[in-house]
Amino acid sequence: METSPTDASAKAQPLVVLERVEKRYGAFRPALVGLDLGIARGEFVVIEGPGGAGKSVLLRLLAGLENPSGGTIQLAGENLARLRPRALAQVRRSMGILPPADALLGARSAVENVALAAWVAGTQEQEGLRRARAALELVGLDVGRYGAAPCMRLASGQRHCVALARALVNRPALLLLDDPGVPLEPAQASRLLQVIDQFAQAGVTVIASRRADAAPAAAAQAWPARARIVRLHDGAIVP
Amino acid sequence: MNYTTHRLSAAGEALRKTLGRPLAFALVVASCATLLAVLAFAAIGLWRLMPLQTPPWAQPEALVYFGGAEGEIDLAAAGLALRQVPLVASADFIGRDAALAELTQRHELAPLALRELRPNPLPDAFLVRFAPGATPEAVEAAVVALGKVKNVGAVQYQAAPFRKLAALTQLGRRLAPLSATFLVAVAAMGVLLASVFWCRIDLEELRILHLLGADAASLRRPYVYAGALCLGLAALLVWGVLNAMNASLEPYVTAVAQQYSLALVARPVPAWAGAAFVLAAAFIGAALASIFVRLAQWRQRNVENRG
Repeated sequence: METSPTDASAKAQPLVVLERVEKRYGAFRPALVGLDLGIARGEFVVIEGPGGAGKSVLLRLLAGLENPSGGTIQLAGENLARLRPRALAQVRRSMGILPPADALLGARSAVENVALAAWVAGTQEQEGLRRARAALELVGLDVGRYGAAPCMRLASGQRHCVALARALVNRPALLLLDDPGVPLEPAQASRLLQVIDQFAQAGVTVIASRRADAAPAAAAQAWPARARIVRLHDGAIVP
Repeated sequence: MNYTTHRLSAAGEALRKTLGRPLAFALVVASCATLLAVLAFAAIGLWRLMPLQTPPWAQPEALVYFGGAEGEIDLAAAGLALRQVPLVASADFIGRDAALAELTQRHELAPLALRELRPNPLPDAFLVRFAPGATPEAVEAAVVALGKVKNVGAVQYQAAPFRKLAALTQLGRRLAPLSATFLVAVAAMGVLLASVFWCRIDLEELRILHLLGADAASLRRPYVYAGALCLGLAALLVWGVLNAMNASLEPYVTAVAQQYSLALVARPVPAWAGAAFVLAAAFIGAALASIFVRLAQWRQRNVENRG
């Protein structure tokens, strides 16, 4: 297949660009210090670091849930901090986000929780439900058995699968995944990582975090070999 | 999804929130309806009394008797002189023959006794009414001034009842705005409390929807619709109850008004006023819910930015 010049320049331009990004919370030690990072479209990046290194903060900044205290974050050429709330919400609808805690509506069913992301993105009700079932099947949750169950009754691993299915349901352009392998068994985590890698191979940019101090469990998980590792320590990128 | 389906979806969500807690919904609607009914009842009562007028029996009056025999006094000039006294609102002539006739009728005097009363011994008199709103002191000063008008023999004025009535009126004037303020405050606080209870913001839901890319307006919409539904229904209930009360109490209220010479206008409250009341209540419910969600969103942003 021929590649047009426009496609080539779009691929060459990084999707995410961080320039001297800082994040401070009051007078505490800065959570992120002088981060410079570029992430290309379709790249699989793993942000690795110990607890408190700033991985989750970085993912929240990338999701536009918080503004950096200094520096700029550009997503597809747009400075996130300068976007109006409505535009920022629209940007977030094009992302798939897996927060550190699964952040599910406990009283709603697994299917409804996943469909919620589709509905927010403007999908019709029935189509949203259909996509939700498909996404749950994709992450390996038995929809027939658990699909209608309220999320509060599911085990933590199942809830994690629901949250991941919700991140995938809109076929996002950018996946922001906070510790996608936790709290799953290594085999199950590896299978989910394979699913995520399939998305990356299809052109979705994936930025996932991984705890470096959970090494034995993480080592047992099959993270894609092509993933670029970015190490964070005390809020700064280390070689 | 387009403009309409976004709103329909929010309306469906609002209904889901409502039907999910039917008992709480009924309780909140009933509480708001009770509070709004008190306000509406007072407002309608006041509206029907408008313009406020002092009934004749509450106006101070005096009887001014003229001395001298029949025909000796120029009554037209006397009446004019009385009306020129400050605070005198009206001076109505009561002729000695009319007074005798009334006396005869009142005491059912026998024809023999009537003959005894010839020639008519009663004086010519004027019934003087003072301007409503005058203080007892000012009225008493006017009574003294009436006594000094040429040919006036005596002035009959009962100061004590008017002083008592004036004291009560003064108290009422002081109490009325205070009670109205208190009533409005109680109603507002009650409605506010009920709305806080009803629009219990699910912060976790807001946080998740925000994370999924729902914009602020679409997050607020289901709460706004639920708030409008709650207070709108309460107002509708109030309207129904007031109409029913109006129909059953009307004859009794009219009878009391007639007995006390109150200018109570028996006019039905127009349908547009009812519709406006329901719409205003729904708007207030929506506005309150919107404010609560905005506050919750603001709190949430602060918490998130503090880490």
